[in-house]
Amino acid sequence: MRRLLHVDYSLCIGCETCQGVCEFIHHGKPNIRIYYTMSGLPIPINCRHCEKAPCMEVCPSNAIYKDSDGAVIIDPKKCIGCLMCLAVCPFGAPSFDVRVKVVTKCDMCADRRRVGMEPACSEMCPAEAIFFGKPEEIEDEIRMRTAEKIARERISSKSLEGVGRLL
Amino acid sequence: MKGMRFAFLCKEKPEKNGKKIAIIGAGPAGLSAAGYLVCHGYDVHIYDKLPEPGGLMLFGIPEFRIPIYRVRKGYEELKNIFEVTFYPKTKVISSKKEEEGDEFVENFVEFEELVKEYDAVLIATGTWESTIPKIEGVELDGVYPALDYLFKIKSAKLGHVSWEEVPKIDGKSVVVVGAGHTAVDAAMESLLLGAERVYLVYRRTINEAPAGAYEINLLKQRGVRWLELATPVRIIGEYGKVKAIELQKCKLGEPDESGRRRPIPIEGSNFQIDVDMVVFAVGQKATPPFNEDIGIAVDKKGRIVVDSRHMTSREGVFAAGDVVIGPSKVGRAVLDGLVAAESMHMWLSGR
Ligand code: SF4
Ligand code: SF4
Repeated sequence: MRRLLHVDYSLCIGCETCQGVCEFIHHGKPNIRIYYTMSGLPIPINCRHCEKAPCMEVCPSNAIYKDSDGAVIIDPKKCIGCLMCLAVCPFGAPSFDVRVKVVTKCDMCADRRRVGMEPACSEMCPAEAIFFGKPEEIEDEIRMRTAEKIARERISSKSLEGVGRLL
Repeated sequence: MKGMRFAFLCKEKPEKNGKKIAIIGAGPAGLSAAGYLVCHGYDVHIYDKLPEPGGLMLFGIPEFRIPIYRVRKGYEELKNIFEVTFYPKTKVISSKKEEEGDEFVENFVEFEELVKEYDAVLIATGTWESTIPKIEGVELDGVYPALDYLFKIKSAKLGHVSWEEVPKIDGKSVVVVGAGHTAVDAAMESLLLGAERVYLVYRRTINEAPAGAYEINLLKQRGVRWLELATPVRIIGEYGKVKAIELQKCKLGEPDESGRRRPIPIEGSNFQIDVDMVVFAVGQKATPPFNEDIGIAVDKKGRIVVDSRHMTSREGVFAAGDVVIGPSKVGRAVLDGLVAAESMHMWLSGR
């Protein structure tokens, strides 16, 4: 069944919890990282598990496949470390792991999903900015959050016009 | 609308291993450590001075950043499913000492008692003491440490105190000193609570602001008056209350040890603005659960010193989070709590 792992950048507060828990379960090498833009805005970057994944299409050794939840996964035994996936990924997600000498990236916490848990980043994000689930569930949740935000604005304040989703 | 899963490392509670751990402090570091430990079969008891777990995630950071339900449902899962025992309103101390957020404390527990009672202890008490500059007028009514200011607002929002006990912000002029995340949050909460005017004063420029230019610009868009290159020199009172603040302009000099250019006050550039409240968000200090020498080393800044195993200079006493690393992001504290818990597990299982 198709699952999405979706990061809503307008809800992210840049607390780095996703990166911290990912780093912990991957022994020092997180697959989601916060980057600070020149304007000082924190942006989490990770694999978005594209439906038409360019990395998968370009991989010369067919090392990249999709599992039943739609997670795009690199098979370390087949990867030849040519970095073509990094070259075509719109987000720069694939990462060369110097320890195992192949390219690794987010596998949507495959081990956790196998036993019925969700990706660690989405379970722990304090702002609930990372969504995991069926597409329609996620979309409902996001709209619900937006509704809450609109309600809060209408109730709380006079001087807040033209704000982003954050508030 | 789900809660944070502090015990994200396991699906269900495993068999108990018979060992008991005390954690002091129920903030992000303490709760994440608890999550790790319950997933490895430990009995975990958490002592915290506040009326409910969550630390700064609930009592400092505004709810438009971290939704309240996210933290509440999170610790409820620890309590109800993973059988963590919480001792709220309980302060662990070796002798009595006051800091922000102490209002709710009803019980005191001796630190040494925990060391005796439990197989291991984790200190994750954070940084609950705000730095207030030593200038004239800081004792006036209307001067607040930022953490205390945010703490009062959040305590009311969480239903622990009535709004009567929160400083009346509606229609007031507030000046917030500082440009870190706490300063930004204090300015934003002031706006949301209807302050007439909000000033943010910083001694460097927007480019050096620790909260980042984006956050500052967002506040400016919402009407906050940004006064950069200025530093407070005194607060002027009338009948014991804040009436105005005197600021001095600065220029940037050579870089200091932090790598940022040092602000140098300019003689004779003083000016005043009329305000009702002054909120200082210029830093916080570590607050370990002791204030005398009990054999646990602290550094110059009062932070607990730990070795590579996260153990303090006392065998079996570990520390993690802001009380070790100083004020940091939630994620940094979470990671630190996890790493410390893992190391406690190693130590207790003789590895
Ligand atoms: S945990 Fe959530 S809020 Fe924090 S940085 Fe990651 S996505 Fe952003
Ligand atoms: S690695 Fe890049 S291209 Fe491949 S699925 Fe992830 S985001 Fe898409």
